[in-house]
Amino acid sequence: MSKLLLSIIVLIFFGSCNESDRLAQTEPEIISPIVDINIRDSEYNFERNAYFGDVHVHSMYSYDAFIFGGIASPDEAYEFAKGGSVRHPAGFDMQLDSPMDFYAVSDHAYYLGIVKEMASGDSDLSQHPVAEGLDNLGDDLNFRRSVFLRFADFANAGNGGEIMDDTVVKNAWDDIVASANRHNDPGRFTAFIAYEYTGTGPEEEMLHRNVIFRDGIAPELPFSRINSDDPQDLWSWMDSNRANGIESLAIPHNSNVSDGLMFALTDYAGRPLDSAYASQRVRNEPLVEITQVKGTSETNPALSPNDELAGFEILPFKIGGTIPIKPEGSYVRKALLDGIKLESEKGFNPFSFGVIGSSDNHNATAVGNEDNFYGVSGLLDSDGQKRGSLPINSSENDSNVYFDRYTRFGASGLAGVWAEENTRESIYDSMRRKETFGTSGPRLKVRFFAGHDLPSVNDAELIAKSYSDGVAMGGNLIVEDAQPISFIAWAAKDPNSAPLQRLQIIKGWVDAGEAHEKIYDVACADRLQVDSITHRCPSNGASVDLADCSIASGVGAAELKTRWEDPDYDATQHAFYYVRAIENPTCRWSTWDAIRAGVAPRDDVPATIQERGWSSPIWINPE
Amino acid sequence: MIKLLRQPLLWFAIAGFLLFVIDARIVTDRKQIIVTTAQQQRLATLWETQTGAMASPKELSSLISNWIQEEILYREALRLGLDEQDSIVRRRLIQKLGFIAESDSEELVDVAVLRSFYQQQIDDYTLPVRYSFRQLYFRLESDAVATLSKIEGGGLINELGESSMLNAEYSYRSALDINATFGANFADRFPKLHLNAWEGPLSSGFGFHLIQIVSVHEAEITPYNIVQNQVIMDYQRYQQEASRDKYTEELTDQYIVVIESE
Repeated sequence: MSKLLLSIIVLIFFGSCNESDRLAQTEPEIISPIVDINIRDSEYNFERNAYFGDVHVHSMYSYDAFIFGGIASPDEAYEFAKGGSVRHPAGFDMQLDSPMDFYAVSDHAYYLGIVKEMASGDSDLSQHPVAEGLDNLGDDLNFRRSVFLRFADFANAGNGGEIMDDTVVKNAWDDIVASANRHNDPGRFTAFIAYEYTGTGPEEEMLHRNVIFRDGIAPELPFSRINSDDPQDLWSWMDSNRANGIESLAIPHNSNVSDGLMFALTDYAGRPLDSAYASQRVRNEPLVEITQVKGTSETNPALSPNDELAGFEILPFKIGGTIPIKPEGSYVRKALLDGIKLESEKGFNPFSFGVIGSSDNHNATAVGNEDNFYGVSGLLDSDGQKRGSLPINSSENDSNVYFDRYTRFGASGLAGVWAEENTRESIYDSMRRKETFGTSGPRLKVRFFAGHDLPSVNDAELIAKSYSDGVAMGGNLIVEDAQPISFIAWAAKDPNSAPLQRLQIIKGWVDAGEAHEKIYDVACADRLQVDSITHRCPSNGASVDLADCSIASGVGAAELKTRWEDPDYDATQHAFYYVRAIENPTCRWSTWDAIRAGVAPRDDVPATIQERGWSSPIWINPE
Repeated sequence: MIKLLRQPLLWFAIAGFLLFVIDARIVTDRKQIIVTTAQQQRLATLWETQTGAMASPKELSSLISNWIQEEILYREALRLGLDEQDSIVRRRLIQKLGFIAESDSEELVDVAVLRSFYQQQIDDYTLPVRYSFRQLYFRLESDAVATLSKIEGGGLINELGESSMLNAEYSYRSALDINATFGANFADRFPKLHLNAWEGPLSSGFGFHLIQIVSVHEAEITPYNIVQNQVIMDYQRYQQEASRDKYTEELTDQYIVVIESE
């Protein structure tokens, strides 16, 4: 009987195949030539537009997002980015004020789709001991945390491969790829195919990277930490994909919690860096994520004691505990300095990267602004009590340390690019040439050029001339015949956020074998002048009323723009320069939470912050 | 490796394989496995993708013999019915069958059908009201007001306004686009502005603006040949779903479903 049924199914199956073959051979009717007019967007711009996006969000296919309650699919994530709303696992809707220009769902490749399968399937996979409790995660957040840690430990112990069922991973990956391709809408919205490579050091240091693909094609399966924890193996995989026509780049993130490994001066195996390592790294990693919810990675007060603004959204501990991290090798600015030092001594620079921001939100959404922050870890930090923005009654539970970690998370991370138009090719290529900037959330814009003969800031053709006579952010300027150089630094505020307070240029250089850094304020709001000795703007007196978070009006600038020359310039030195644009102070998300709850903000976290944007550096190389 | 050797399943598989080989040598009507040149090529390409190097003849031969062993084990697993009652295999097979059903729809592009689909979904191809306009930017409202009276007295527009990262002209911008550039609610007053007149000041997140509407593009159905690519994509997606549903429905007709009660 069952054989008969099988034969019927086989017959139907083959019948269908023959049918489809026959249809495929039918000549389609010739359709009229496509008129090449795009009246929706006549915005192709040789001088390039600023586009904003987030290339680091997690959907239900990420094991941790799923365990935290995340059930939004990649499709829902892209719909959100285009302006739609997504339901938070705690039941409220999340929506952006303005849609994103570009977006990438970047789920963890290890356990991709596995935990979701374990929770829903009646397969062998769900019988695995590690899957226990997944089918009934429930309301006990401590239980969810313990399940999350169980999976993390399982991979850290080297057992992850046991449950990496290729078929399940492939199903999830196919869905992610198809979703990005479906939502990509050239000229209107760019959806990148992406995933997160979650490589980890021997002591669980985070060596995480997001891999972003340029086009609509992707490898059969993503390369994950189950394949290797050594980033060089990831780069070799990317190199071989590239040889086969699949172009991608990797963006390291959370260097701040890598405990010194992300920008270590040795490779994963502990060998000193060499030029082959540098060229492979630079080829595959043109950018670094400078800020995201789990802290900002620009620099740390311990590394930059003379930078008054260095202590911005610092996450001082390793993830999931209270072990302090080692600052050296964990922060962007120090890595840029180490890079030019290596360049001047050995002729190669493994850390010649540009910067970008993104969120790492595990709710499939980007982060909201400070005033509508809804957490990033599903049910675990969905309200002020859970994310520790409200005073904690320490007798209630024993998880305060964990809550405190959320308190230190920032509502941060936005990617900015300068591109001709909103297409995959144009935006990806801007990432390749590092004409990118990162912000701590607001859509503020930063432009930066260097050259030997740049025009005045009032020149009507400022941008055109800066491109033709100089280099844009992310570029290298070769100094010939000790010619003087100048910079154009320019920032515009987010129309929906606070005004700008000042514009800074951060310089790093090598002198007599030693790397140095210096901060120059180069433009001040409110007609204030930079002090020529301290290189600082006087205070503009911008204040925040902590009773309701309102900010003083009439203080600050919509734009700051200047042509700057370095008073300490030495044409024989290797150097880099980047711009930091600083907003007036505003309430931090934790203060907004407290005000809404009618309680005083916690006094052990900053009540206000100064949102900011960072340009990619420009490198100055002596001839 | 040692961990792998400790796996009872592996020993079971090896023992099973040996028994199978012995058995196959005794039984006369042995089944045939053909390793096609296409399959060999696939293995070689996969090796190259994973390692970045061409497979040597020795490596290729080891790839092929691995594949043969796997194929034998795979066929045996199928013979024993191990694919049944496995939800992952079940879901994967359903997905693959779905691809076959959907692929029926991909090759056929019939203009008449596309046009009728386009008419049915006309809202998707209708653009909202868009504005083409010029703007002058001022930090202070008083400067904007003073400039407006200068313009009304015949002043040269090119030399007015303060420099900013904003463009002097914008074309075909919807209210959503305008608000994204100038800040929330900035476009609210646009419907009340008069064509070609300089008006304002309008306050934005940056300061104050004088606006001259150059043209208003009413909500407009995009002509078919301009959105043809989009229509094709949308139609294919629609048809994939439809042919998948139809296929499932046809198959369902072949079955009598009995839901047992306890």
